[in-house]
Amino acid sequence: MAEILRIRNLRKTFGDNKVLKGIDFSLSQGEKVVVLGPSGSGKSTFLRCINRIEEPTSGEIYLHNILVTDKNITKIRQKVGMVFQHFNLIKNLTVTENLILAPVKLKLLSEPEALKKAYKLLKHIGLLSKKDAYPASLSGGQKQRIAIIRAMMMNPEILLFDEPTSALDPESIGDVLELIHEVADQGMTIIIVTHEMNFAKEIASRIVFIDEGKIIEEGTPKVFFNNPQTPRVQEFLKKVL
Amino acid sequence: MSDFFAKIIELFSTPEYIDSLLHGFLLTLEISFFAIIVGFTLGTVIALVETAKPSKWLTIPKFICRIYTTVIRGTPMALQLFIMFFIIFAIRDFPELITAILAFGFNSAAYTSEIIRGGILSVDKGQTEAGLALGLKNSTIFFKIVAPQAIKNIIPALGNEIITVIKETAIVSMVGMYDLNMAAKDIGSGHNLASYIVPMFTAALFYLATIYLITFLVGRLEKRLRKSDLME
Repeated sequence: MAEILRIRNLRKTFGDNKVLKGIDFSLSQGEKVVVLGPSGSGKSTFLRCINRIEEPTSGEIYLHNILVTDKNITKIRQKVGMVFQHFNLIKNLTVTENLILAPVKLKLLSEPEALKKAYKLLKHIGLLSKKDAYPASLSGGQKQRIAIIRAMMMNPEILLFDEPTSALDPESIGDVLELIHEVADQGMTIIIVTHEMNFAKEIASRIVFIDEGKIIEEGTPKVFFNNPQTPRVQEFLKKVL
Repeated sequence: MSDFFAKIIELFSTPEYIDSLLHGFLLTLEISFFAIIVGFTLGTVIALVETAKPSKWLTIPKFICRIYTTVIRGTPMALQLFIMFFIIFAIRDFPELITAILAFGFNSAAYTSEIIRGGILSVDKGQTEAGLALGLKNSTIFFKIVAPQAIKNIIPALGNEIITVIKETAIVSMVGMYDLNMAAKDIGSGHNLASYIVPMFTAALFYLATIYLITFLVGRLEKRLRKSDLME
């Protein structure tokens, strides 16, 4: 399958703290990559460096063989959607305004087109009644599902999920995972950082295990969970499963 | 006691006294109003420089802003007023109203910049990140996301700053300007102690009414801006 994203020797340092110590990674069209690893391993930083929400210290990122630079980063970000742990819906905008802000401002859609698309997606997730509500009045699960369709509004080529269910109450985790599953089934290329092992098993076409800023092991979920190759992953799985 | 009432009647029935008070009040309002505008404009510029992402060509402006706020906040307003009147604008025939407006405006800018800076920094980082992740330009993120949220945090403190400026302008009497404070002293002087009471309390009421009105308006504005925090 066609390669969308290639990352070479990605490093990130916060002060003296080396969080990413040289990550090489490649992503093909339609892949669902789940990034696992202990807390503080650098997996969120890795994800946030991909669209340069976090500025990498060094390394190269290529999208469709085009090197990501300061000049083209905003264009690149329009193609790489992101869903955050804390949803990050814009607090001073209503649900509809959150959905249409970027596509309209960036002239990807006209306002009527954007509204039509927003309402269609809201209806699909059963939250059309919330179209004029402000984020403060929504539950965590509702916010996260809206954040997911906000990313979908941009027609991204890749969707990044940064622990999308970690800040949710157990009841709404299911709804959010279901929506992610649906997006994945539609053929979206996905990278997701999560602690939901069962979901990882279900959705992943590839598992990437990061520890201490390096990719320790990667492979299909079948091999990863049933026959891990490295002692570090064996130890990790013993604890979490 | 009857003397006291006689003084009240005297004040309000003597056109020159009323005229003096109103003239003084008008000057107080003029200085305050324009000083607040100068302070807000300059304060916003300083806050934007200070909160901007560090870059090569902002190093010097950032440094200047830091020095400016440090010096202004570290020296007495009365001294700054003297320096403006007797050194910087000690030019013959330079309008003293403008000198006073600039003195209070430059002073207020230092405090206003801190208020605005605090307001901008108090906006959750995730809000900016959401805008970045959507591919929005920095200017769009600032005007559509950060600024509206910052304003909500800024308004109450800005209201306080406006009140402070209005009251602080009373020290222009020290450089001989005839503001509300000076008018009260002028009307009362030359008589006995009792004659001070009425004009001074009248001036106090003028200040109080102005400040009460501003507190009320700021409260209303705060309520309106908070609508996105309320349910539904």
